Amino acid sequence: MRILSITALSAAVLLGGQTAATAQERGGVMTYGRYTDSLFLDPVLNDANVDIWVMNNIYETLINPTDDGLDLEPGLATEWSLSDAGDAVTLTLREGVKFSDGTAMTAEDVVWSLDRARNPDNGIWNFLLASVDTVTSPDPQTIELKLKYPDPTILSALSVFNSAIMPKAAFEAMPGDTDAAKAEEFGKKPIGTGPFMLESWDRGANMKFVKNPNYWDMGADGQPLPYLDGLTFEIIPDDATRILKLQSGDIDGAEFIPFARVAELQADPNIKMELFPGTRVWDVIINVRPEIEGRENPLSDEKVREAMNYATNKDALVQVVTYGVGTPLSSFMSSTTPMHSGDGPLFPFDLEKAKALIAESAYPDGFKTSVLTIAGNQDDLGITTALQQMWGAIGIDLEIKQVDNASRTEQYRNGTFDMRTGGWTNDISDPSQITSYFAYSPTIDALHSGWKNDEVDQLFEASQKEMDAAKRAEQFARIQEIFNASGPTIPLYETPYPVALGANVNGFYQIPLGNNIFRETWLDQ
Amino acid sequence: MQLVSFIARRILQLIPTLLFILIVVFALVRLLPGDPASAILGDRALDADVERINRELGLDRSLPVQFAVFVKSVATGDLGKSIHLKIPVTELIASRLPITIMLTVMAALIAVVFAVPLAFVAALRRGRLADSAVRGAFQVGLSMPVFYLGLILLTVFGAKLRWFPVGGYGDGFLDHLYHLFLPAVTLALSLSAILMRNLRSAIIGVLDAEYVLFARAKGLRPGLVLMRHVLRNALISTVALFGLSIGTLLGGAVITETVFAIPGAGRLMVDSIYGRDYPVVQGLTIALAVLVSFTFLLTDLVQAWLDPRVSR
Repeated sequence: MRILSITALSAAVLLGGQTAATAQERGGVMTYGRYTDSLFLDPVLNDANVDIWVMNNIYETLINPTDDGLDLEPGLATEWSLSDAGDAVTLTLREGVKFSDGTAMTAEDVVWSLDRARNPDNGIWNFLLASVDTVTSPDPQTIELKLKYPDPTILSALSVFNSAIMPKAAFEAMPGDTDAAKAEEFGKKPIGTGPFMLESWDRGANMKFVKNPNYWDMGADGQPLPYLDGLTFEIIPDDATRILKLQSGDIDGAEFIPFARVAELQADPNIKMELFPGTRVWDVIINVRPEIEGRENPLSDEKVREAMNYATNKDALVQVVTYGVGTPLSSFMSSTTPMHSGDGPLFPFDLEKAKALIAESAYPDGFKTSVLTIAGNQDDLGITTALQQMWGAIGIDLEIKQVDNASRTEQYRNGTFDMRTGGWTNDISDPSQITSYFAYSPTIDALHSGWKNDEVDQLFEASQKEMDAAKRAEQFARIQEIFNASGPTIPLYETPYPVALGANVNGFYQIPLGNNIFRETWLDQ
Repeated sequence: MQLVSFIARRILQLIPTLLFILIVVFALVRLLPGDPASAILGDRALDADVERINRELGLDRSLPVQFAVFVKSVATGDLGKSIHLKIPVTELIASRLPITIMLTVMAALIAVVFAVPLAFVAALRRGRLADSAVRGAFQVGLSMPVFYLGLILLTVFGAKLRWFPVGGYGDGFLDHLYHLFLPAVTLALSLSAILMRNLRSAIIGVLDAEYVLFARAKGLRPGLVLMRHVLRNALISTVALFGLSIGTLLGGAVITETVFAIPGAGRLMVDSIYGRDYPVVQGLTIALAVLVSFTFLLTDLVQAWLDPRVSR
């Protein structure tokens, strides 16, 4: 008893000491090394991860994804409710929110922002809000969305970057006749409600942010966030240089650390090597059409694909390509995706089974095929050279074709490829986006593979209207079961986001969707 | 007068050259598979989005029509707007090309400073230890990949010794010079190796010439013979080689800029080609073509001064 209380006491002392030592400190400018520059800072019209993953520091949404990406939490709206029929959403706006230029955020700004985001003429993200019929504000603190049909994804959609709230008056005051022209001007010096505001942007070199003095949220010390005075993104495209700059103390953090360097940086006492759980999945996409440009396609044989899957040693790939950082996939979607189902690796390595399957197939003597990879990409090269060996064991002669990304995308979209390496990250905390691209044939022919399964198509359509979360989870579980067993991919592994930070950096994180959150980041002074 | 007409002739020759380059680059970027929309949307690309974006960019029109629009706007000095960055190409070039020019000029100067004295040492000590040492050292420099050399310099002189910054470009002219020194050395090494070898053999050739023998026989001091007769004559072919190498230097700047995190035109060009950002690729090519042509003109002028027969 006595021992216990002493232990409890010392634990309390230790904990107390720790709390004091980790109290957030204010001030300072954090410099973060990025592999490439942002392109265009308009939440509605942008189309690249280099923008999406940082815009949340400037613009904010009514609802936010939680840090684990599995749920939602209040953002610029403090509460919300979905009608029982699932065809209306009522949101209560947070009081006292100001834009970085000092003007108050009004219901008019919110209605205008959502109308702009869902305008079918605007950008590539308006499909997320396709169910919305009208957006109105019955009173200055309330926003009402009437839907054309019940939409189980609407709340998640309101947490996606394109639904960010922008200042209507400031946007419309921009020069230009069209929305796109105004957005181009506005995007050079954006105004949002986020914790930081863009002060200068030297293209290709750096972006400098200062803290938004009007930010609404409070830190642990009761003072307004953010803790940092400023934030600088420095563009350092070469991985080795980015790491060298971090190690020499020139910068405080570096993104996209190559897997090969993770262990080395984990051992470095001056570096915090972070592996933030991501929604990034890696696979090989297989064209399953019976013929490709008039050639007979052995990959259309389901037995062949199954054999290839069993002949693929995922654990070995995880070791060789990701240096142990990745985890073999248990479904086509990452385990961080809501409604992910499946436990244990898909098609655990079994060469005997693979040989038996290929013997049963229409191609017992093997065949020649090819895979498209991105030239100069080490991960791609590692994966495909390993597959060349692994599949050689079942008589498949794999040719590696290295091309640039745009060329690969063209062959992919034309459906003229045999196979290609694939990677995917979700943009929304919901399984619908990845399922729509991977499995639902009307979107892009299931990864342009030509794969089609009527049950999957029907289940997906039903899931997009199903308001009962449990039933919806069952639908997605069945879709995953079918796709994982017979789909047009070789599922490989999922990986976290490797970010290296200086030992003085605290409170930075990347959510599974990829967003870099500097809101609560602080530096030891 | 002769010089003025020489320059005028060269500038007139530039016009058909540029027109030819315009046609080639216009056709080449469009012959590459893929388009700007699918390049940037990547795996998220939906047919409807790609078609809409290409329509907005005017890429659904026939190639001759697109070319006519392009030539018309270039003639008025408008190089268009970057598809992905949404800012005017002239603005992009104005902010990034000077950085590459500065890097290239520094590299060229460093290459000359290294190459000329060492070429003399090697030539005058032909076949002896100094000659072998100089040539051996440059052979190593020539065969080392630029990105590797850059990383070694960054690690040793940047991160370890802290004599130079670990990449980046800095603020203000002097800071730029300081930041660009290591990348310029990286870029200069292979050029100085080529120049050194060329100049060494040219000097050896000239040393054996009868007019040098005559100058010596006249009793001219050896230093004067070297400066007035040997260097001037030996430089003629080296200057031509130097001019031609500027294009190669600009090409090498791409890798150097990536390793040293310098926001120059080389990196912009590579990013734009990958992104199929047609207006930027076209605009930069025109700017680089003018730059290279200007360098050639300058080279010719220097050669004409060294050897008046050239301008005739």
